[in-house]
Amino acid sequence: MTKLLIDCDPGHDDAVAILYAARHAELLGVTTVFGNAPVEATTRNALAVLELAGLGVPVARGFAGPYLGEAPPFAAAAHGASGLDGAELPEPSRAPQGVHAVELIVETARRHRGELVLAVLGAHSNVATALRLEPRLVQWLRAITVMGGSAGPGNVRPVACINVFSDPEAAHVVFSSGARILWLGYETSRTVLLREAELARLAGGGRVARTMAGLLDFYRQSYRRIYGIDGAPVHDAGAILAVLRPDLVRHEAVALEVALAPGPTRGMTVVDRRGIRPGVELPAGRAPRPANVEMAVAIDVPAAVETIVATLLSYP
Amino acid sequence: MPTPILIDCDPGHDDAIAILFAARELDLVGITTVHGNAALPQTTRNALALCTLAGLEVPVVAGAAEPLVGVRSHAPDIHGRSGLDGAVLPEPDRAPLPGHAVDFIIAEAERRKGELVLAGIGPLTNLALALRREPRLASWLKAITIMGGSCTLGNVTPAAEFNVWCDPEAAAIVLGAGVPVWMVGYDLTRRVGFGQADIDRLRGSGRRVATTLADLLQFYLDRQRRVFGLEVAPMHDVCAIVPFVAPELIAHRPTAVVVELRGEHTRGATVCDLRDKRLTGTGGIQDAAPPNVQFATTAETRALIERVLATLLRYP
Repeated sequence: MTKLLIDCDPGHDDAVAILYAARHAELLGVTTVFGNAPVEATTRNALAVLELAGLGVPVARGFAGPYLGEAPPFAAAAHGASGLDGAELPEPSRAPQGVHAVELIVETARRHRGELVLAVLGAHSNVATALRLEPRLVQWLRAITVMGGSAGPGNVRPVACINVFSDPEAAHVVFSSGARILWLGYETSRTVLLREAELARLAGGGRVARTMAGLLDFYRQSYRRIYGIDGAPVHDAGAILAVLRPDLVRHEAVALEVALAPGPTRGMTVVDRRGIRPGVELPAGRAPRPANVEMAVAIDVPAAVETIVATLLSYP
Repeated sequence: MPTPILIDCDPGHDDAIAILFAARELDLVGITTVHGNAALPQTTRNALALCTLAGLEVPVVAGAAEPLVGVRSHAPDIHGRSGLDGAVLPEPDRAPLPGHAVDFIIAEAERRKGELVLAGIGPLTNLALALRREPRLASWLKAITIMGGSCTLGNVTPAAEFNVWCDPEAAAIVLGAGVPVWMVGYDLTRRVGFGQADIDRLRGSGRRVATTLADLLQFYLDRQRRVFGLEVAPMHDVCAIVPFVAPELIAHRPTAVVVELRGEHTRGATVCDLRDKRLTGTGGIQDAAPPNVQFATTAETRALIERVLATLLRYP
């Protein structure tokens, strides 16, 4: 069974990712970071989602802000003030672990050398810091799976998305780490939508599924209001599917750089899709760089939606 | 009365097709030349040679040899050393008109207030200088139409398209001038091209101009194959002319576009806000700026190429 640690900022789609991973993988930990809401809220939300599903997975709190720069753009418009509006969640019966997220990431990877897949579903601050504090972490990890950035339009900025834009320097550290990286961008993640019919099925399910139906309906309304998209996109769950259901996600190796300079492209994930043929000589600075990520270029959307709905319905 | 149009260009194989298309379909009042695909003396000579080949009595005026701020760069990998390799073109039957392209652009716009369409299908140095030199120019033009930029997919670098990358500051001036701008980017034009069968049709016609164009386009297609792995010779520049001839062939949407001037990975990228965002004032999600560009989103590719082919086959 795949061993997973999820670093996230729940977040509606993060909640789906956690519940999916807990059913189909050995979920060894959840670490939290700022992003969709302040880190106090995302930590509480992680605990509440695990509580709802009766999962005793360790939770550790991480960073409240980025390496550098301005206050992060919390996504209250999409996720609500709590970061997870739309349903009553149970009061968490436990507190987060007494260690920092960075420590839980490094310790878990050390104990499961060569086996752990690290899912990065929020700002990259925790994972980047862990990579800098423990240089052997790169070798210990089996892979990193990332949801963040875009090879097309952005969300919080015209060409930048919240997870990378929230801490571009940290994202640069992760993407340039040399780890095997599976990357899912917003232009593809937003195609996996739970629409009204799927939400109705969840509403007819058990306690967990019914609660998720309420949460995801809030999220669906947000997307309709903000972007005119009818359906709740389950972005982060796509990065979990990339690991657990490789039959549903097609990847291509590409070179990806994060734009760091101040200006309208800061936080953009720049993907080289020029198609430059091998052997073509270009001046320095324009030549293709070696591929550093496996980019999700296509998802079998109906099958992805079906496995997510079935998994949520499998909870009591 | 056909629309009067002035073409500022850097021929260039696709520029050549744009010129010959506009000369038959619109009122082509002049051609101005700029650095770009090759150095200014070459692009000017190429423009004159094309006019000689096709028997066009159109004034040709040379413009800027260098970008406003950056360092000059050319595209011999795509267009050959002359900027228009692949055929023996006739010796030009005249010299360019004396004077600078910028003065010619201003004079033509003043003479046709409210009527002239200014097409920028190379680096936008001349257009920017003209807008700065004569502040009233913006109000005299009916529209500016450009081939340049892209939404996230570059050719010269992963994020930037050649024409804008060659002089990003000039592009920023043009996009910010307050003139209605029609923009078609590389993300669209890369797919709009002549295939081998189209080139064979030109050659098979036995006509003098079409045969020479077939030689030119064969060279260009071979280079596009070798460098980018493309199976069409993209007709980038003609896509900026088509909206004034057959508007039904390219769909546009009002879009806010800015040029990235900084950045190791993104200088020269056009940041196009295609987020479909409906809400304003949503905290961390930046609002879309007012649209400054009619951005080309889709083209009737086959119909467009057929339309251009038909026009080219009307030359002797």
